[in-house]
Amino acid sequence: MSGEIEIEIQNGIRVRAQKLLSLGEVGCIIGYERGPRGQMRPMFVYDEAGVERLVWDRTCHHNLVVYVRDKVEAQGGGRAGGAPPPRVAIVARPCDVRALNVLIHEGQLAREQVFVLGIACPGMLDGDKVMAHCRRCKERVPVFYDALLGEPPAIEAEDDDWQDVAEIEALSAGERLAFWAQEFERCIRCYACRQACPGCYCFECLAEQVDPGWIGIAHRVPEKAFFHIMRAFHLAGRCVECHACEQACPMHIPLSLLNRKMAREVQELFGYTAGGDADVPPPLATFRRDEELPL
Amino acid sequence: MDTDFEPKIVGFLCNWCSYAGADMAGTSRVRYPANIRIIRVPCSGRVDPLYVLKAFQEGADGVLVAGCHPGDCHYGDGNYHARRRYALMHRFLDFVGIDAGRLRIDWVSAAEGNRFAQVVAELTDEVRRLGPWQGLGNGRASTAQEAAQREVTAALEGRDR
Repeated sequence: MSGEIEIEIQNGIRVRAQKLLSLGEVGCIIGYERGPRGQMRPMFVYDEAGVERLVWDRTCHHNLVVYVRDKVEAQGGGRAGGAPPPRVAIVARPCDVRALNVLIHEGQLAREQVFVLGIACPGMLDGDKVMAHCRRCKERVPVFYDALLGEPPAIEAEDDDWQDVAEIEALSAGERLAFWAQEFERCIRCYACRQACPGCYCFECLAEQVDPGWIGIAHRVPEKAFFHIMRAFHLAGRCVECHACEQACPMHIPLSLLNRKMAREVQELFGYTAGGDADVPPPLATFRRDEELPL
Repeated sequence: MDTDFEPKIVGFLCNWCSYAGADMAGTSRVRYPANIRIIRVPCSGRVDPLYVLKAFQEGADGVLVAGCHPGDCHYGDGNYHARRRYALMHRFLDFVGIDAGRLRIDWVSAAEGNRFAQVVAELTDEVRRLGPWQGLGNGRASTAQEAAQREVTAALEGRDR
């Protein structure tokens, strides 16, 4: 059952890719291929010969939106503004498309610059289980797309009980500090979380800034904690909860806990969900004069 | 409680209202705790959350961010942005183990010398009550807490990703 859906989506990607490239509508397709050890990895297709290497299954965890800006620029598409034709096609799940919306809102990309091969998403797998955040997901069809691959699956979303966040909240401040110290202690500062994140596109990250040097280079918990807390804050109202960061983390730090906490507070304070609509500014980029906020 | 504990508090005050309010407290000879170290900034909207976290990382026991009352910002809307940012940051810092009581956001106008003194006194009392800040990433749990933490960690490891 699951395999049929995957094959249908994969075939859809190939058929569309073939057509887009042969008609010259796009110069690059961002998709997935199978790596030498069998794992799925990102792939860039520039000509029709590469099309048959494109694959898709429910372990394609990378959020390909991280590559979009670079590929659009490489195809000669300028920054947002003007209306160049679609130049890059991207395979995108509903959460990935919300990340595109974040970039579009922030002026990093124009809608016309991407051709979205949207996936009607059955949820991603970790081993043989559907990942927890996918089971909770209510969005099976992307908010926008140029082609929809697969049938919108009839899956009842699990209720989100926020148990994981509540367990941390139930601790005292000192215990929470200790909890996070223990988690961040493992961080090797590889920044894979940042590199895997479509929202982290700064050319110069505060983590590498040397003047002023906000974070030291020491391999100590305070520096690591500083980085992760600031990164979570920079993603406030922007994180689309694709879990690419947590997937990329070689040390299994529960990064999504930070992002989920933030997403819930953003929802509670400002009634906002990241990436739902490119025309609605994220909560920290706007304000209402008359609002009452707990300080 | 450590009775010798004198909290170190970093205050980010906007140039146009709160800094002048602190000045007013001084010229009016209003007493307030000497625990606060004041940093003058152009606007409360200029206070990047980075600065607040940096203060905590460098060992501040408490942080005050003060600006013009909503509607009175010299630049029109800087404090509205600050208000949103810190409403969120408050909750988030608490989640990572920095007591919400260690951070205070408030509005002090240039005429409110007494109010400035009161805000500083309240924050100092609160931070004194909370005790010395352990430092980012330096949280050390008691044995009982450690046991509780092991349970949480175990539960997290058992959860599906």
